[in-house]
Amino acid sequence: MLITALNGLAAAATLFLLASGLTVIFGATRIVNFAHGSLYMLGAYLGWSILARLPHTPWGFALGAVATMAALALFGALLEIGLLRRIYRAPELFQLLATFGVVLMVQDVVQHLWGPAELSLPRPPWLRGFVLLGGARYPRFDLIVIAVFPVLLGALWLGFTRTRWGVLVRAATQDRDMLAALGVDQRLLFTSVFALGAALAGLAGILALPDGSADLTMDLSAVTDAFVVVVVGGLGSLSGAALASLLLGMLQSFGVLWLPRASLVLAFAAMAMVLALRPNGLLGRPLAGRGVGEVVAFIRPAPRALRLAGWFALGAAACAPLILGPYALSVLMEMLIAMLFAASLHLMMGPGGMPSFGHAAWFGIGAYAAALAVHALAAPLPLALPAAVLLAAFAAAAFGWFVVRLSGVYLAMLTLAFAQICWAIAFQWGDVTGGDNGILGVWPGLGVRGFYWLVLALCAGGTLLLRRVLAAPFGHALRASRDSSLRAEAIGLDTGRLRLAAFTLAGAAAGLAGGLYAFAEGSVFPTYISLQRSVDALLMVLLGGVQTISGPILGAFAYTGLYDTLLSLTDYWRFVLGAMIIVLVLAFPQGLAGVRLPGAAR
Amino acid sequence: MLTVEALDVFYGRAQALHGIGFEVRAGQVLVLLGRNGAGKSTTMKALIGLLRPAAGRVVFAGRDLTGAAPHRIARAGIGYVPEERRIFPELTVAENLAVGRQKPRDGLEPWTPARLYALFPNLGAMPERLGARMSGGEQQMLAIARSMMGNPQLILLDEPSEGLAPLIVEQMAQAILALKAEGVTVLLAEQNLHFAQALADVAVVIEGGSIVWQGSMAALRADAAARARYLAV
Ligand SMILES: Nc1ncnc2c1ncn2[C@@H]1O[C@H](COP(=O)(O)OP(=O)(O)OP(=O)(O)O)[C@@H](O)[C@H]1O
Ligand SMILES: [Mg+2]
Repeated sequence: MLITALNGLAAAATLFLLASGLTVIFGATRIVNFAHGSLYMLGAYLGWSILARLPHTPWGFALGAVATMAALALFGALLEIGLLRRIYRAPELFQLLATFGVVLMVQDVVQHLWGPAELSLPRPPWLRGFVLLGGARYPRFDLIVIAVFPVLLGALWLGFTRTRWGVLVRAATQDRDMLAALGVDQRLLFTSVFALGAALAGLAGILALPDGSADLTMDLSAVTDAFVVVVVGGLGSLSGAALASLLLGMLQSFGVLWLPRASLVLAFAAMAMVLALRPNGLLGRPLAGRGVGEVVAFIRPAPRALRLAGWFALGAAACAPLILGPYALSVLMEMLIAMLFAASLHLMMGPGGMPSFGHAAWFGIGAYAAALAVHALAAPLPLALPAAVLLAAFAAAAFGWFVVRLSGVYLAMLTLAFAQICWAIAFQWGDVTGGDNGILGVWPGLGVRGFYWLVLALCAGGTLLLRRVLAAPFGHALRASRDSSLRAEAIGLDTGRLRLAAFTLAGAAAGLAGGLYAFAEGSVFPTYISLQRSVDALLMVLLGGVQTISGPILGAFAYTGLYDTLLSLTDYWRFVLGAMIIVLVLAFPQGLAGVRLPGAAR
Repeated sequence: MLTVEALDVFYGRAQALHGIGFEVRAGQVLVLLGRNGAGKSTTMKALIGLLRPAAGRVVFAGRDLTGAAPHRIARAGIGYVPEERRIFPELTVAENLAVGRQKPRDGLEPWTPARLYALFPNLGAMPERLGARMSGGEQQMLAIARSMMGNPQLILLDEPSEGLAPLIVEQMAQAILALKAEGVTVLLAEQNLHFAQALADVAVVIEGGSIVWQGSMAALRADAAARARYLAV
């Protein structure tokens, strides 16, 4: 009991190291720093290399920790100056994307420099030391980690209340323009805040080494945890982050004890509960609304020429199996599925005004539902596909019920967290999902051509249906509630219900795409739910432009083509893709909707 | 001290200011008068750099500040007290003042919290009060005091009398006169003509984003027709 509680405290300390930086950065700059987990990962790897060159003593470790923090602070400062500073006024979705570009680049850089294998520290005697607590042995190092929590909380509190720097940072979180009008140059302030957050993430990274290791997945798992903590605590609230770290740390360690497999689900349930009761987190305040409306213009009907081109393309696609071989057909199918997937995300974030960073969740749920129906229930395709759609719709409705009333940033972070949890379930629940090996042998039981026609019919039909829905009164009502929920409610629209309906519909369509994908590939893997896939969908939508329905369709084809080319050209596709995202965001910081596309592309 | 030339300001595509130009002399109080939506606040925001003028020039103490960032304009010696006051709600009175602190300026005795508490005794009674817990009048005093912490030579006061009880308005007028006596130049935006008459030397009347009348306060007092036409009093 005592030991479990201590474990919880140690977990809470790490969570707080991560979340405090994230929340302080958000408070001052309003940027949700997706790359926070990458800073943590860099801290672990850099720390590993630095510690290897220092004596394996407590003092050596302390020195290494300080050096790592300094290196990370420098890296954070450069990142702020080079990238973030340029996008403070960009739409929040673009900020998230840009920092995700950093995540991709850091992953490849780390893999290149340190290799793909896990790295752990040699364990000198002082690290193996124990103390006796109530008859049980407890690692001494973990006590040090626990001590970090109150020390850090106290230091941050002093820094934010007793120094001019701290008062200015707090003022910046409350009113940036007024602060500037009082003569404060905020560039230095933001750079220093970012450097501090990066240093804390680096410290968390190096502290994770003695009990664990440095590996290439720690960035995303850390940033997911940190998102959950920050959302539960309230965005921008330091004391909220401390409270939420404690809560979730304890939940984690006691959860493992009582429900070994369900610790993630428990954390998620806790988050859902907190948000249902307090939509701004435990100690958070409502965020000043800054909707995605800036990215999203309105939907224009397709011009005649484009409509003709569309029907022509559809006709050509229908004839394709008569000419093309199986490989080309499989590429086409991938594109068609991507189209439906992107269109479903577009419905949610464009007209629905709900940015999602975890759209792969519904895709993956559909794929796994179809695969499990085939495998466990021996259901044929005509049963498995509806199962995929239904399960995804059901999950989206259940999840949407909690989140549709939240503001953009929260929504983006929560959808991301939910998708990561689905990913973790697929990954860890090996008995059912096959874990990393996935489920193989999910074949449609149709010839290649027959299946291709089915995919074409369902994807094109599904996309057209989504389009119809948007042109119908439902679509108008949805956009009205996006643009001004107050006004929409004043004219009698139930905005919550509307958004939930859009959320569910988008989930169902993504589930269909996922189910089809499972059959097209003949298998499912946890990567179907990966963050990468969610970001793929986002990029397709943003690439094509959010303001049109044809946008995501074009975007899906362009992106799928680009992606396949990239994969075949270089091993460092993550690096290249990340760099491309960043360049895109820097070139069009106001969103692609601000760009006038030439005639046909509208 | 401050010369404004042919300022054009837009909100998106809508033009809010059309060629505004006037001059404020050192030590003067100049009042911008005009009805709701005339463009007074827009002028103030453009001067402090929160809005970027599309055309025109702003020259302050010999320096061209057109299009400069707000923090540069503030450091050049211009204080800004917005219409909404914009007190930092989660900072205390003392912290709000600390945020406004800038380096002392040559030839001027620097403002300190103690001097400002003497000017606004209400604030001196509540240095630990949170901004969010203050009355409108107290917030207005704090907003002025906070901008004075930057030791400005010119302050932009946007409707300091708005929504305040007559007694507090009177206090506010006394405080502004005290600042004037210290040698601070004041650019005031007002709708309350009575309040403006007690303070201002020069008046500029704006309507629909353009200047429609300008002259000395005494001349405006004498010109009943202009008052009736532009200010409807
Ligand atoms: N943020 C904004 N976006 C678009 N238009 C604006 C904005 N702020 C002000 N305006 C418009 O600019 C014009 C001038 O507004 P401004 O706030 O400068 O008026 P004002 O003279 O300060 O009025 P008041 O006495 O009500 O404070 C008005 O027509 C107003 O509607
Ligand atoms: Mg005004």
